[in-house]
Amino acid sequence: NMDSLGASGMSAFGNDQKTQVMRQIQQEAAMQNARMLVEKLNEHCFERCVPKPGTSLSKGEESCFTACMDKYMQAWNTVSKQYVARIQKESQQGGMGNTF
Amino acid sequence: MDISASSQIGANLDVTKLSDRDKQELQQFVVNESQKARIQASIHSLTDTCFRKCIPTGTVKKGSLDKYEEPCIKNCVDRFLDANLVVLRELERMRQ
Repeated sequence: NMDSLGASGMSAFGNDQKTQVMRQIQQEAAMQNARMLVEKLNEHCFERCVPKPGTSLSKGEESCFTACMDKYMQAWNTVSKQYVARIQKESQQGGMGNTF
Repeated sequence: MDISASSQIGANLDVTKLSDRDKQELQQFVVNESQKARIQASIHSLTDTCFRKCIPTGTVKKGSLDKYEEPCIKNCVDRFLDANLVVLRELERMRQ
């Protein structure tokens, strides 16, 4: 959002070089994240839903894929919340050092 | 997806022309983004592991996490981090 852009030193509408580089870095990070997600979704759901590849994907295999993707994204959200909460707690207690 | 931009991050940037304040902001930004990227990578890795551990093998029928799977995932994250602490502690002990 626009507030966090200002807080990180970025001008929302600026095209100065500093802002450009910051935007590029953020875009690259977002793309990397999306790439990882697609890779994992394909890996897990192909494994589970298409045990014996045929000459095409059946309706059953497709609906398994949809359910699998939903489940994986839910798992991702659960992990994300739990992980962030944990490292926030640890950093308050000063116990984890530079683990993260 | 246009990937051409990613190979040119900072290609137009002349660092010598940045003000001291801009240099500092950029440096802090890079530090923060690196940390965020590390956290994202950890979350991906943990989701991968915990999905395998907590979701019974075979086809998926429902798209939501049931009342066994969700606590399992949460426990998986916490136990993994506990185990990580054990590893660090033991490595430290072995060093001495």
